[in-house]
Amino acid sequence: MLRVLRAFDEEGLEYVLIGAAAMGFHGLVRATEDLDIFIRATVENVERLKRAFRAAYDDDPNVDEIAAEDLLGDYPAVRYYPPSGDLYFDVMTRLGEAASFDTVSAETKSVEGIRVRVATPAALYLLKKDTVRPLDRQDAETLRRQFGLEE
Amino acid sequence: MAVQRFRSVEEMDAAPVAVPPGEGFERFARQCARYWVIAPRTYPRGVFRFRSLAEAQAARDRVTGDNAAQLRDLP
Repeated sequence: MLRVLRAFDEEGLEYVLIGAAAMGFHGLVRATEDLDIFIRATVENVERLKRAFRAAYDDDPNVDEIAAEDLLGDYPAVRYYPPSGDLYFDVMTRLGEAASFDTVSAETKSVEGIRVRVATPAALYLLKKDTVRPLDRQDAETLRRQFGLEE
Repeated sequence: MAVQRFRSVEEMDAAPVAVPPGEGFERFARQCARYWVIAPRTYPRGVFRFRSLAEAQAARDRVTGDNAAQLRDLP
């Protein structure tokens, strides 16, 4: 996990970490199988993402299947299963009309010297509160309570 | 505080979990590692694209179901 976050940092990827990993940065700890990120929807940024994945995963040729024309077009969500087999990545450029990289407020955290852009508790709450997944609604309720967020 | 007492599950649920500042991500990573030991998983490889989060969720559910079935089949 850390080597990927380091690669994101080194490549200058414009991204925001959302999901359980982001909650972890805010001290709300639960396990997950994936890292969820919003990325800025530009061709250059998708190339940064691909370079970061290649750097983290020994030039995995599957990374070539990530296409800017998908993420900027009809496929705003891409899932990448790296060869390490221990986790996967959900990469998104937008969430319907509700959210995108530009609309999610974020802050910079640090872990082992790596800068990580993490969605704020309020942003995570907004992303999670109206989704269909019960786990997300549970996360939203936890965020609301722990950070005193308003409905 | 090593032990906390609660009069009800609701009171327990509302109590803030004490995570020292700055330790959240390390604890998160350790928690994920623990689950890997308890429930090892197999994922497909490569890149999959989705038109919507609902599509992505359905694909996730299929992989989760396959992994749960594998665990049930273990001796």
